[in-house]
Amino acid sequence: MLGIPAVFSAGYGNVGSSIYYALGIVALVAMGATPVALGIAGVLFIFTALTYAEGTAAFPEAGGSASFARHGFNDLAGFIAGWALMLSYIVTISISAFTIPPYLGFFWEPFKDSATIGTLASIGIVLFLMTLNVIGIKETSFVNISAAVLDLATQVSLVVIGFVLLFNPTVLIHRIVDNWPAPENLIIGIALAAIAYTGIETMSQMAEETKQPQKSVPRALVMMIVAVLVIFAGISLVSLSAMTPQELATDWSRDPVAGIAASLPLVLLRDVLKPLIAILAGTILLIATNAGLIGISRLAFSLGNHRLVPPALSRIHPRFKTPYISVILFSVVAIIILIPSFFEADVFKNMGALYAVGSLLSFMFAHASIISLRIRRPELQRPFKLRGNIKIKGRELPISALLGFCALTVIWVIILITQPYSRWVGLGWMVVGIIIYYFYRKRENLPLTHMPKGRENQKNSTIL
Amino acid sequence: MEFQKILIPVVGSEADVEALKLAIRLAKKEKGKIWSVYVIAIKRALPLNAEIRPEIDKAENILDHLEILAEEEDYEVETDVLQAREVGPAIVDEAVEREVDLILMGVKYKRRFGQFSLGSVAPYVLKNSPCPVILYQH
Repeated sequence: MLGIPAVFSAGYGNVGSSIYYALGIVALVAMGATPVALGIAGVLFIFTALTYAEGTAAFPEAGGSASFARHGFNDLAGFIAGWALMLSYIVTISISAFTIPPYLGFFWEPFKDSATIGTLASIGIVLFLMTLNVIGIKETSFVNISAAVLDLATQVSLVVIGFVLLFNPTVLIHRIVDNWPAPENLIIGIALAAIAYTGIETMSQMAEETKQPQKSVPRALVMMIVAVLVIFAGISLVSLSAMTPQELATDWSRDPVAGIAASLPLVLLRDVLKPLIAILAGTILLIATNAGLIGISRLAFSLGNHRLVPPALSRIHPRFKTPYISVILFSVVAIIILIPSFFEADVFKNMGALYAVGSLLSFMFAHASIISLRIRRPELQRPFKLRGNIKIKGRELPISALLGFCALTVIWVIILITQPYSRWVGLGWMVVGIIIYYFYRKRENLPLTHMPKGRENQKNSTIL
Repeated sequence: MEFQKILIPVVGSEADVEALKLAIRLAKKEKGKIWSVYVIAIKRALPLNAEIRPEIDKAENILDHLEILAEEEDYEVETDVLQAREVGPAIVDEAVEREVDLILMGVKYKRRFGQFSLGSVAPYVLKNSPCPVILYQH
């Protein structure tokens, strides 16, 4: 069973990796307001993390927002939240794989400069990880903890070095003010910044294998909130001190942290940090891509267990004992999402917006489910209960969840209206999912909304 | 030495049977308790509570067989199937939770790259166990 350090490491390993691409993706639209967009998204991240803390403590089981929605509403809501979450996991796999080659461009420039070579390398990475996960590699929690420690140490060092050598408040303020985006772009920037906070779900998914999850997961979540906000604020300020928003959004959009290292004034430090960042970022993003693949396989299995998706997605390979169908299927979808990067220039922004469509929808369900549970099941044991409530008709409703739900809904709608790629692909994904769900439930003679008692799989064995 | 509570992790090898017989001999003096556990290692791409039916069936068959053997020796053994990410830590956690006095493991003679190898589980248990460990090599 995992303790707080292991849960924190897994979560930070996931969230911390996203800064290696989130900064550039946000800068593409938010320009000078990149730190502000990350900051506002950070506040929404706090609300969402707190909602997850209450939900996970009450229901320490895999599934995250899908699990909350199932308990808070019904099976259909659980499916929609889970299917949206799957989309965000798939796009995380694509984006992480897409940003590894630019970092490795330090060693061989075509990785960064050639769209064909870069995309082929990204597809190769997904195929490689798919094979490893079908075979079932042995990965110890030591790997996760080491990666998170390495990640945190690198980022702290970069923030400290950046503040000492690059930080200039006057230049920074000028760059922010002179490159302030249109309000619409700021909002899209905030939505894209949600990609920086991808690890909340990971911690929630690990609830089942955590010692005293009712206490450990909320604590690890709070620790992660603090670490992430401090580091991300530091790196975003350092990045805009190091380069102009235009440079960040063009030359370094896919490898912004490498851009910081390349902008350091000391030659010796630059010569040491540039290859180091290339290796570290490449490794950390590889682990993050793998974490996405593992996360979606677990989620698919969990949804299958609750009969929300067809059992094929939970099928286990007789020899390797891995969920090979879901691993292969979702890897292929992640590769399909990467295909446009052979031809299109703005594919990176599109991937970010597509991620936002999936993740914001699942976060909205998380908030709504926690609110619904407060109304429908006030007596439910909540080892971690959100403070700051308003009383409506005798029910305590958490203000942070209400604010989080409203803000995310507004941002989600704006993304759908303004981003045609993510609108059609994202909604297409959801429609296909609902059709699959409809026919699967009909075939199994299950109602579309509620799960009859006694039909779920029973577990007999002990979990350690 | 007195052993009131003995834990036997099993994998389905012939060494398990010998380890069980030895455990019964050690426990009989003190009328001690014996637990036999089979740990199913769950891959990280699956939730920890994933029900892998063939693995569970295999584990239950192995444990049933040991229970029958124990009955033949006129002794009772409690059995359990555990699911964990890693086998070694699961055995140590189980030993801590049950406050056992002894872990008794049967190990097969194995060679890896031409050298005798204990694998990864036995060394982990030897290093981290809260109680004495006896390895019975078959």
